[in-house]
Amino acid sequence: MAGIDVGGGGGKRALDSEINMIPMIDLLMVTISFLLLTAVWTHMARINADAQVPGPPRVDEVTPTEPEKQLHIEMRATDKFVLIWKQGNTVVNTIDVPRQDNVQSAGNVKVVRYPDLAAKIQAEWQMSGTHRDASDKKIDQAILHTDNETPYMYIIGVIDAIYQAHRPYNVGTKVEQVPSFNVTFSVN
Amino acid sequence: MPVHNPGRRLMHGIGLKFVRRKVLGHGSRAVTANLSLTSMIDFLVVVVVFLLMTFSASGETPLTKGVHLPKAENTSDMVDAPIVAIAGSQVFVDGAPSGNTRAIEDSKRLQRVDELFNILKGKRELWKQLHPGRDFPGVVLLQVDQDVQAIVVKSIFQTAAFAGYPNVGFMVGDLPKNKH
Repeated sequence: MAGIDVGGGGGKRALDSEINMIPMIDLLMVTISFLLLTAVWTHMARINADAQVPGPPRVDEVTPTEPEKQLHIEMRATDKFVLIWKQGNTVVNTIDVPRQDNVQSAGNVKVVRYPDLAAKIQAEWQMSGTHRDASDKKIDQAILHTDNETPYMYIIGVIDAIYQAHRPYNVGTKVEQVPSFNVTFSVN
Repeated sequence: MPVHNPGRRLMHGIGLKFVRRKVLGHGSRAVTANLSLTSMIDFLVVVVVFLLMTFSASGETPLTKGVHLPKAENTSDMVDAPIVAIAGSQVFVDGAPSGNTRAIEDSKRLQRVDELFNILKGKRELWKQLHPGRDFPGVVLLQVDQDVQAIVVKSIFQTAAFAGYPNVGFMVGDLPKNKH
């Protein structure tokens, strides 16, 4: 048996005490089993979207004089994405981006990535984005157009690409990096 | 020196000769091995410490059976909010069945899921009663299977928005971020 020598002795009662190894190893094994069973191996996160439901006008809200520029992302075609900058109903600019569905499988889970689209959106925002200053509390709007049959994983792939573009944003005295766009869906 | 009768000997109780020979290791490797307690306990303690460091006391976000979440890179941390799950054509709110999407899949048209709408509205009213004077955050998390059609996602998204939850978060698996 293992013992812990804490000194002393000299004719008196021994101060050495022994730890019983069997319950100690049992305890360690039970602790390991409990921790393994309760361990979280999959890390989940979220991707935000804004529903833009029209509500009653706020008292402090100033009525905008002209509509803001918005980036519309069309993903209906199988071979290309179409990026359209619109101001109200006026089309300001249209850009085609070749579409290559980069699908990677990891077991049952599929990962869809569009690096070319992400790079193009980033470049477009740097060129034409309205809210680029860190002190600007508003965020540019991106509207996603998709057909009804598109599987969800492709939508997430496109939203992920949109959120790759980041901008500085003042939070108190600190400047943080936040996504350049706020994503919402087109209903038609 | 007096002569004594020999006392009990180890392994002599083993009746079968070939077993005794095997156990004693005559001419071959012994079947028993010594285990160093010190290194074993060191190993166990290291495993316990590692698991304790990775332990999450807040628990795991429940993933509805049959839902395979897609993965994404540019994500935010999870928040505490109602979870709307879509598995097959069934809709669940915090694990409780709350309607189905078969009508949407058949008609291929954007429409509200009434049962889901009523449940979410009820949750919103309850939150307001429990937190008087505070602004309702309006956050809902959608746990959608990777193969669900866009029309279903849009219908659930719109239903949640009409029920007073305009901030929708899509639950995804977290991918490590690439350096750009």
